[in-house]
Amino acid sequence: MTPGLPGPAAAVVGDALPPLAIPMTATLIAAGAIATRDFMPVHHDRDYAAAQGAPDIFMNILSDTGYCSRFLTDWAGPDARITRLAIRLGVPVFPGHTLTYTGSVISVDVVDGERVVEVGFRAAGDLGDHVTGTASLTLPLPG
Amino acid sequence: MGTRTGDESAFEAELQALVGQPVGRGGAARAPDPVNQPMIRHWTAAFADGNPVYVDPDAAARSRFGGIVAPPLMLQTWTMPTPTLDGIAERGGSPVEVEGETALSVLDRAGYRGTLATNSEFEILRYLRLGEVVSATTVFASISEEKRTRMGRGRFVTWVTTYTVEPDEVVGRQTFRILKFDPSDVAP
Repeated sequence: MTPGLPGPAAAVVGDALPPLAIPMTATLIAAGAIATRDFMPVHHDRDYAAAQGAPDIFMNILSDTGYCSRFLTDWAGPDARITRLAIRLGVPVFPGHTLTYTGSVISVDVVDGERVVEVGFRAAGDLGDHVTGTASLTLPLPG
Repeated sequence: MGTRTGDESAFEAELQALVGQPVGRGGAARAPDPVNQPMIRHWTAAFADGNPVYVDPDAAARSRFGGIVAPPLMLQTWTMPTPTLDGIAERGGSPVEVEGETALSVLDRAGYRGTLATNSEFEILRYLRLGEVVSATTVFASISEEKRTRMGRGRFVTWVTTYTVEPDEVVGRQTFRILKFDPSDVAP
């Protein structure tokens, strides 16, 4: 949790999450693809990607959801439980780009003894919005 | 092709008959390995995810989870097939040999040869524990009417994957949408 920003336990609508900026490299893209067991050559083989018309290897979708998950729990902490993640895919991210996640709280409810927080977010790369989406997570109520 | 009047309704019926049918062949895709700490550690390292409930037994025990849990968005990773890397480029990136037609071949034949992923949505019903074995069953949920898109004419194809832990507990669902488009039909 970042000092100076409101924590998830006291979240109110409009609170901003701490931004997450990732300087993207070929290593990160290949590592994410293999860690998610996605062996499509466009995610690790630059020559293959070029033959497909792409300027370089690009990030796979399972890495997108991985980074979204990290962005959410970096803020919400280890007691957060992600219950829903919905992303819309935009422009690709290539090595050398910086991918920056930003987001804010769009609703807060208490359901079945848990705080339910909905977050709207986007991940922008050098070419524009790479991912936009919403997520829901739950947190135990204090006490 | 576009408007082949006589065949239009037959083609539409062929497409709509796919709804509810499995995507790919065979039954459920069973994870080659149970949920395990090495793959979780590999995943958290790849994304520099410092959430201790995935890797630190003591911190996990103090959390609401009471023990190690898998990263929820690893759900899809567990059931990814073990690839045959030899020849993967020649197969267009397909991790395993696919013989014959797939359901999407119907769309390829109709000129919608391009593929662009557009949406991925996960519903996580519960987090997974070490040792659990996940299976995935994927069916077509919908195939849209033809739309004009910036990629050309196309149809949105949506499938839903249901993830279960043995014997049959549903632990999550994924809705995935692609645009199948005609690359020769450049939008105005």
